[in-house]
Amino acid sequence: MAREQTDRDLDAEVRSYADLLAQENIREGMSPQEARRKAILELGGVEQVKQGVREVRAGASLDSFLQDLRYAARMLRRNPGFTAITVLTLALGIGASTAVFSLVNTILLKPLPYSDAETIVMPVRLAPLSLNLGYEELNWGLPESQLLIHQSKAFQSVGVLKNDSFNLTGAGEPALLDGIRASAGFFPTIGVAPVLGRAFTTEEDQPGHEHETILSYRLWLDRFGGNPDILGRSVELNASAYTVVGVMPPGFVFPRGEDMPAAFHFPRESQLWVPLALPATKVHREDPDELSVIARLRPGISLAQAQAEMNVFAKTQERQNPGGQGWFNSRVTPLARVVAGDTRRPLILILSAVCVVLLIACANIASLLLTRSLARRKEFSVRAALGAASRRIIRQLLTESLLLAATAGFLGILITQAGIYLVKIFGPSNIPRLAEVGLDFRVLAFAIGITLATGILFGLAPAVGASRCDLVESLKEGGLRSSGSGAGQRLRKTLLVSEVALAVVLVVAAGLLLQTFLHLLSVDPGFNPSRVLTFELSLPDSKYQDTAHIVSLYRTLLDRLQSVPGVQAVGIVKTVPMGGATDGSGIRFTEDPPRDSRQLAYSNFVVGSPGFFSAVRTPVLRGRDFLETDVLESAPVAIINSAMAGKYWPGQDPVGQHVGLGSKRYPLMTVVGVVADIKHLSFREEPGPEIYVPFTQKSYPSLLTMQVVLRTKSDPTAITASARDAIHSVDADLPLAAVTTLDALVDTSMSQPRFSVLLLGAFAALALLLASIGLYGVISYSVAQRTREIGIRIALGAQRRAVLAMVLREGVGLALFGIAIGVAVALAVTQTLAAFLYGVRPADPVTFVTVSIVLLGVALAASYIPARRATRVDPMVALRHD
Amino acid sequence: MTQDQTNLLQGTLDMMILKSLALDQMHGLGISRRIEQITKGTFQVKPGSLFPALHRMEEEGWLVSSWGESENNRRAKYYRLTKAGRRQLESETERWGRISLAIARALEAC
Repeated sequence: MAREQTDRDLDAEVRSYADLLAQENIREGMSPQEARRKAILELGGVEQVKQGVREVRAGASLDSFLQDLRYAARMLRRNPGFTAITVLTLALGIGASTAVFSLVNTILLKPLPYSDAETIVMPVRLAPLSLNLGYEELNWGLPESQLLIHQSKAFQSVGVLKNDSFNLTGAGEPALLDGIRASAGFFPTIGVAPVLGRAFTTEEDQPGHEHETILSYRLWLDRFGGNPDILGRSVELNASAYTVVGVMPPGFVFPRGEDMPAAFHFPRESQLWVPLALPATKVHREDPDELSVIARLRPGISLAQAQAEMNVFAKTQERQNPGGQGWFNSRVTPLARVVAGDTRRPLILILSAVCVVLLIACANIASLLLTRSLARRKEFSVRAALGAASRRIIRQLLTESLLLAATAGFLGILITQAGIYLVKIFGPSNIPRLAEVGLDFRVLAFAIGITLATGILFGLAPAVGASRCDLVESLKEGGLRSSGSGAGQRLRKTLLVSEVALAVVLVVAAGLLLQTFLHLLSVDPGFNPSRVLTFELSLPDSKYQDTAHIVSLYRTLLDRLQSVPGVQAVGIVKTVPMGGATDGSGIRFTEDPPRDSRQLAYSNFVVGSPGFFSAVRTPVLRGRDFLETDVLESAPVAIINSAMAGKYWPGQDPVGQHVGLGSKRYPLMTVVGVVADIKHLSFREEPGPEIYVPFTQKSYPSLLTMQVVLRTKSDPTAITASARDAIHSVDADLPLAAVTTLDALVDTSMSQPRFSVLLLGAFAALALLLASIGLYGVISYSVAQRTREIGIRIALGAQRRAVLAMVLREGVGLALFGIAIGVAVALAVTQTLAAFLYGVRPADPVTFVTVSIVLLGVALAASYIPARRATRVDPMVALRHD
Repeated sequence: MTQDQTNLLQGTLDMMILKSLALDQMHGLGISRRIEQITKGTFQVKPGSLFPALHRMEEEGWLVSSWGESENNRRAKYYRLTKAGRRQLESETERWGRISLAIARALEAC
């Protein structure tokens, strides 16, 4: 635009020249035509003239830019110490923030790798608020899923899915595969087609016709050698024949358990898909709800419209299911948002923290540059006196700071790559889509953006300061030891105070998170994870159909495992602690459930065995553990946790009381014991009521998949082989899946808070270091400036101690000012941290006081070195100083 | 148009332009005519070298330009010296004085 304007202007100028020339010729008596011709001739061609000017203009600006650049490079080379510190500080800042941004970019900004991924949503069923489960996502039941598939208008397609495991036999070692039962709408909804073969047809999604399977790419390679002849071949899953109809593209493992709410129990990675084949007939409401729904919005339908339809759906369902009030609410969430899940807020927290560090780094560098520009005042004054326009000087200074920033930005991108590599290796494994994280154009744009922004930010203050300086004054003063640079020092002090304030905010936040983490470490989770081996057994339903058969198998297994050398205690349980959410159920306390099922209480429901509590060292607080004598024929028993005892029998002994599942189909049980509360998903959860029943007395829910826990005398992993042998001595086709230790599960559950606290702690330490460097710089400069004054004071008899105190007072005063502002800001900011905290209040006085004292200490230390230097001022030297 | 053109020394054109603008603002043709006049026709500045020089000097911050009306009501772009331009003229004049003195002495010495 500007260029075109210049060009038009130039054109007009040259034409007006020709015009004036022609006029001149006319006055000399030529005819108008002749005058015009002569004028054009003398001009030598309008275009040639314009081209000449253009070359000069382009040459001049390029030339002066190159000149600025050369000069800047020379200035930076001449101060290698300054340059190294600045570039390194900034490179760290840019590198760290870009690395964090690359996570934010992938997890929160980049669309999922599915076609039109932004229209894929998950209508997530929400638990009634009163339940207090520690999570809010519930699975849908069969009737609701069928209604959503057939009646929804907002959704173009609906896919219903449910996790299942499949025992693959007849193709090498038996293996337990994690799989998904998916309705015919699943593949159209997710929008990914098989690379080989086809997706399920609607006919295959009918009970009795569902013996087809689609394999994941990895499974196809690992188990079937990547042979394309696999299509149409039959494989044996759970001892039945399934025909392979397709193979999914590499990397497609949807749903990945870590990307989905824990309450959905999805496997880590799906290895195969099988038609869901929902029965069309009416089913019992009491059947467990275990379906998840994904849907694709119809074109032109917004999220809000879909949500409105789901709200109407909830109202209709409530009307048709008396007593179901509050059980049909849902939230339509974009799939990308579901996948980002709990990482969203910690990521934003970490990104803000790293930006604060970057700001502090900028303030520091601005302060350094300001000092340098004050020292270079004479140089600028001379240049100005020689005719340099003030914008040339500003441009020169900006070129210098941008050169610094660009160098740092380049290094920063290398640091980013190292950072991404480190996060991939050492970061928590449950960061969603971690494999996709990398440098893409958006991350690079961010890096370049903040490089330019920081360069201008820290370059502008000194540049404007320098251009405003009064020529005559600064020429007379001669630079550094002038009193006239008070404005500069004021700016430096303002920068410093903000640095200290920002550091306070960051250190307080890190302190609160650290306390949270320590609280989490010391919290009693209700079990002892050390030396416990755990794995999953999944019995093929074709082989084990009869409950009595299953029970006797587990009994034999428990006996065999108990006699494995090194095993102290063994038990089986539906869900191990930190292994995921438990099942839940409506419960009743009397033989007849309340007619209005709204009054039905709700509780977690866990199937266990004798030995489970002693294997995980959960104390039995009252009554007894399960016994071998609790069998189908004896009176049904239950053990409850202390949260349940406190909620339903406050002040009473719950042992001997009765409790049962919400339907009369299940018998009422006698409470025989109370155990400590076990935490299931994270150490910060508040355990809700929980009922344990012995596997020998229950057939609900299915016993086909159970977790085994083994407490060992020494290293738990050392007995994996003998445990496997013991199991294979009973059934050689039973695979052990998800072999791990309780310690490892606890570690995984802690990885996210640990990651946050480590990063935030590192950033806070960096902020503290930068702020103390800044303080050191300002105080040193102030001492250098006041050398003469200090010399006079000493000459007049001031004690060295008084001089020391005077300098320290300056540093401490500035720090106190910054701390006061920082504390005020932190009080407001930490309120938003409440969701991250556990066992500590956002306005925790201990943290605030400790942080203030630490910062004050750092300020004292940083001012001490220049203060000592001040006491050593030799009055004679100081007074002779110019 | 005179055929024997004295080649302008590098930098001399700048000095001429600065000098011709020392008293008042002027448009391109005015500057050209003024230089012809003060050098008694020794230097004739053609637009092909005048305009690039003017724009370069404006870029340097020695001149500023603005559109105005010529003597006979024609639109023309006028150039004016800035403070920096005036200082440049002084230092150029002084430098030129030194050089011409030095050359004169050198030639006398022979």
